Amino acid sequence: MRAENYQAINHPPSHAFELNFGPNHPGIEGNYALQVKVEGDTVVQAHADGGYLHRGFEKLMEQRLWIQNIALVPRICVPDPSPMEVCYSMAVEQIADIEVPERAQWVRVLQLELSRIAAHLFTFGGHAATTGMYSPMFWGVADRDLILDLFEEFTGGRVYSIYNLPGGVRRELPEGFLQRVSKMMDYIESRLQDYDDLFFANRVFVRRAKGVGVLQQAEALEMGVTGPNLRATGLPFDVRRDDPYLVYEQLDFEVPVEEAGDAWARTLVRRAELVESLKIVRQVVKALPDIGGALRSEIPNPLAWNVPAGESYARVESSKGELGYYVVSDGGEKPWRVHVRGPSSMHAVQVLESLVTGGRIEDVAQTMFSLDACPPEVDR
Amino acid sequence: MREGDSDKRERLQQAKSLAEVLEVAILFEEAAANFYQLQLERVSKPLRWLLESLVDEERQHSAKLQALRDDPVFEEQLETRIEVSPVDPQFSDAIQIQALDEIVDDQAILQYALGREQLAMDQYRKLAEMTEEGVIQQLFQWLADEELHHKGYLERRYYELVHRGGGASSRYDF
Amino acid sequence: MVKYDDEGSLLRPLRALSFLTKPAITEPLVPRPAAEGYRGFHLNEHQRCVGCSSCQKICDNAAITMIEVSELANDKLNGIRNLRPAIDYGRCCWCALCVDICPTGSLSLSKEYVHTCTQEDIDSYFMMPGEVGMHGTFVGKGWQKSETSDLLDLQRKPMGERPAAQRIDSFDEIVNGFSAQQAEAEASRCVQCGMCHDACPTGMDAPEYIRSIFEGELEQAVRWIYQTNPFSHVCGRVCTHRCEDACSIGVRGTPLAIRWLKRYAMDHVSHQRVLQITQEQKPSHLSARKIAVVGAGPAGLTAAWDLSRMGHQVVVFEARKNPGGMPRYGIPEYRLPYEMLDRDIEVITAMGVEIRCGVEIGSEITVDQLHQEYDAVVLAIGLHLGRSTRIPGSDHEHVKKAVDLLRQVTDEGSIEVPQEVVVIGGGNVAMDIARTVARMQKQQWGEVRTVVTALEDQENFLADPEEVREAAEEGVLICPSRGPQACVIENGQLQSLKTWGVCSIFDESGRFAPHFDENDEQCHAAGMVIEAIGQMADSEILLGDEITERLEWNRGRLQIDENCRTSESWLWAAGDCVNGPDVVHAVADGHRVASSIDEVLKHA
Repeated sequence: MRAENYQAINHPPSHAFELNFGPNHPGIEGNYALQVKVEGDTVVQAHADGGYLHRGFEKLMEQRLWIQNIALVPRICVPDPSPMEVCYSMAVEQIADIEVPERAQWVRVLQLELSRIAAHLFTFGGHAATTGMYSPMFWGVADRDLILDLFEEFTGGRVYSIYNLPGGVRRELPEGFLQRVSKMMDYIESRLQDYDDLFFANRVFVRRAKGVGVLQQAEALEMGVTGPNLRATGLPFDVRRDDPYLVYEQLDFEVPVEEAGDAWARTLVRRAELVESLKIVRQVVKALPDIGGALRSEIPNPLAWNVPAGESYARVESSKGELGYYVVSDGGEKPWRVHVRGPSSMHAVQVLESLVTGGRIEDVAQTMFSLDACPPEVDR
Repeated sequence: MREGDSDKRERLQQAKSLAEVLEVAILFEEAAANFYQLQLERVSKPLRWLLESLVDEERQHSAKLQALRDDPVFEEQLETRIEVSPVDPQFSDAIQIQALDEIVDDQAILQYALGREQLAMDQYRKLAEMTEEGVIQQLFQWLADEELHHKGYLERRYYELVHRGGGASSRYDF
Repeated sequence: MVKYDDEGSLLRPLRALSFLTKPAITEPLVPRPAAEGYRGFHLNEHQRCVGCSSCQKICDNAAITMIEVSELANDKLNGIRNLRPAIDYGRCCWCALCVDICPTGSLSLSKEYVHTCTQEDIDSYFMMPGEVGMHGTFVGKGWQKSETSDLLDLQRKPMGERPAAQRIDSFDEIVNGFSAQQAEAEASRCVQCGMCHDACPTGMDAPEYIRSIFEGELEQAVRWIYQTNPFSHVCGRVCTHRCEDACSIGVRGTPLAIRWLKRYAMDHVSHQRVLQITQEQKPSHLSARKIAVVGAGPAGLTAAWDLSRMGHQVVVFEARKNPGGMPRYGIPEYRLPYEMLDRDIEVITAMGVEIRCGVEIGSEITVDQLHQEYDAVVLAIGLHLGRSTRIPGSDHEHVKKAVDLLRQVTDEGSIEVPQEVVVIGGGNVAMDIARTVARMQKQQWGEVRTVVTALEDQENFLADPEEVREAAEEGVLICPSRGPQACVIENGQLQSLKTWGVCSIFDESGRFAPHFDENDEQCHAAGMVIEAIGQMADSEILLGDEITERLEWNRGRLQIDENCRTSESWLWAAGDCVNGPDVVHAVADGHRVASSIDEVLKHA
């Protein structure tokens, strides 16, 4: 070839490694396969491959009676099961036109906020671990365990409460429970300073998290991202405030936002939310003793219960974003279709891919945890 | 205790020992059994079971008395055997019939049997009243109680046969 | 808010010294006690559990298997099965839906939550819960059924009935029946355990027809009903409902209104459709066998219905003017309208059964003649004679038997009643005649003065409690614990019934042993005394001396084997006359007779 016609060919770097983050990996939340191509320490390509936690819930739910599904739905999101129960029940209540008594609504809020606190503690722990800091991880899991003790007390189960059913909740709160909740909130609040010292305001962590995995608001909105991830980009969208359900309208709480959209911003939003949740729980504990009434509305014998034909979409703010249940009934004793809008579906796939691409390999796990991408609710 | 009532009563009054009293009582029972046995030929097949069971009961009662007569320690045990007799149930008093000339049905047979038991019981009671205190008087009392118990048993059967029809339950033990 | 200062401070780490003063946390090695209400391994009170299998049905993981435990009681009539749930903990998710649906409340979850084993013992994860716990030590009850968590609807949907003031002067049916909404709501209470099916003498497919009613498929319900009972308009009104006594929901609540649901289904499918549906069972070919049935009551006609569907020719001989037996001639119209009974009968005759009314077997035609002309003979004559107390004065012309009067009312429409009537007896027949006479008194005299006297006390009345309640509402005076002594007659006129009080009625062993109080004497004024104490049949007159002598008898009744066959190979007997008065038992007998005759004729 003559020299003037020579064009250098830009081959992809031949020293790019393809690595599997997952499906079993300590840096992955749940079971999830993130295949990354790295050049040196830089991620040049990422491919999120879900499905490892596909258990066929949506199809299973079509083959179970309406009441049997309450035992299935908590398992869709393992760290934060309560919103699943409440949202499913809400959707069925909307179709069947069942009113939930006031007391039950307050108890549901209590359950949801306790679950949020526990989920955030879990996420902090996980996030810290991805930056090599294991003490906050143990703290997060241990403090969450104390909240699980509370769940054990009032729902009978630590992780999967199976406490809600269409119409309300299954059991009354035990004696003295609200005092114990109050004490627990005090305890967690007292721990925040230690958490700040060790984690949130720790230079080691902040320097790791600042500027990592920056999500722009426009991209977030385009991809349907909700929850703390969206709020960390500056948009104060929260289903509890913008489409209130249960008794959230009567409660006083802030919707914290950050502007930077990076991992640290997301972490700060969650930390602020935890404080708001403590506030909400305290309000509920104060109000509950004065609210009497039934804990659930009557529903027919569950072995012979046809929910009238219809469809509805119910949504709640889970710790990961807007959780939605789209339920279709054909008038029978089982749902015709249940589709779960798992909030992580929006940010665990393409968004995760785009955020880790161009970043460093040590930040892949951190990005995933900072997004609180929860694979069980992606795959279902 | 129909044929030769006074004759039997005299014999009983004259009895000196328990064994003699029992002998007469046994004869009464045998006479009753024979009477029912004779009626068997006069009734249609569906009614024979009732007469046969009455024959059986009388014969069993007779055998019981025979065993007592032959039991050497009976005299000692007599006192403990006498129970306090309850208030007479008068359920069947109004419907007892004296003779079984024409056997209409199962109800009539039982009516007659009840009457027979009543009379026997009355006879023994009267004898007990007329006798001086002692083992013989106690034996008359005991015999009266035996008849009372048998009468009660027959009354139960009468109720189940006659009064339990037309009810809600159909678990019958006829 | 988080105070972040990128510069940091040299003293910040000193804050960590505070951890030196914090007490260490030591977790014990033994499992910590669970909270109250924890959802641990199952517990089951075997004596309370009835084996209904509702837990098995609601489990969404198919973790429960019902296993037979032969040492336990199996009592069909009381709704108890010797099945108990066993749990596969490889499948169970401890949701406690089984606990919340358990009709008896015997199932609960304990506070025990630890089980480990080696591979050899892997089957230990499949266990039958008892009262103590999985490892033989009771750790405590955890999640138990509470009023909030209970998933069952324990209260029966009320069904209207006409108030006494409205119903007292007519014989119109007094119950309103269910509306569609009520029927669906009542039917939805069913947990499909099948205890009703087991307790019913005919083995009726009640769970199936209840389900059909719930689904709004009434014709399907009628098809299910006709699988076992061609007298369902009748049974839907007056059956003794053994099914309801066995219903699992009835253990803690009121049982399903299975009888009223049957009535609902039968009433709401048009008679034309019922005829069409039942005609689907018309036989495809005939057998050239002829069977004679004596008595057109439930037993006889059910046998005729079955035999006809099997292809045999059946002729039913009925002594009365109309077919129907006790349902027509004994049960008043306000409980069972003739029109509904006629519908049941028409379905049977439409199948090809011939009924000859007004023919008395035993006089015009002998049983022996039937034996000659027919391949088999069924005796289903019922218990149509009334017993008498035979107290003094009971042979007066104004002392009547209830069954006679009820028959007269059916045939003639009405009877003349005096202003004061006393009924002796406390069973359903006594209630029937008392309420019938009360209506006539209202119509003829404008006032009800009917008294019912019974030996039994209020708690032990033989009649259904509803009958007693309704009778009292209609103005009938119920006098329990009264023993009839004599009918008082003066100058040839019946004046009153003399009764003595009954102080106690049963002895210690529970057998009848009444004690009267002579000093508690009452005379109940009466222009008529009606005896409603018991019933009997006159089989021997009907059969004739020779056949009576040849047959085997059992305590006054015809002796039959488990197929209702007598000791004569060509003669079967069924219904009240051999098994006591009960309409659904008679229907069951009819089925037994028919299948026995069919079997015998097949091999003849």
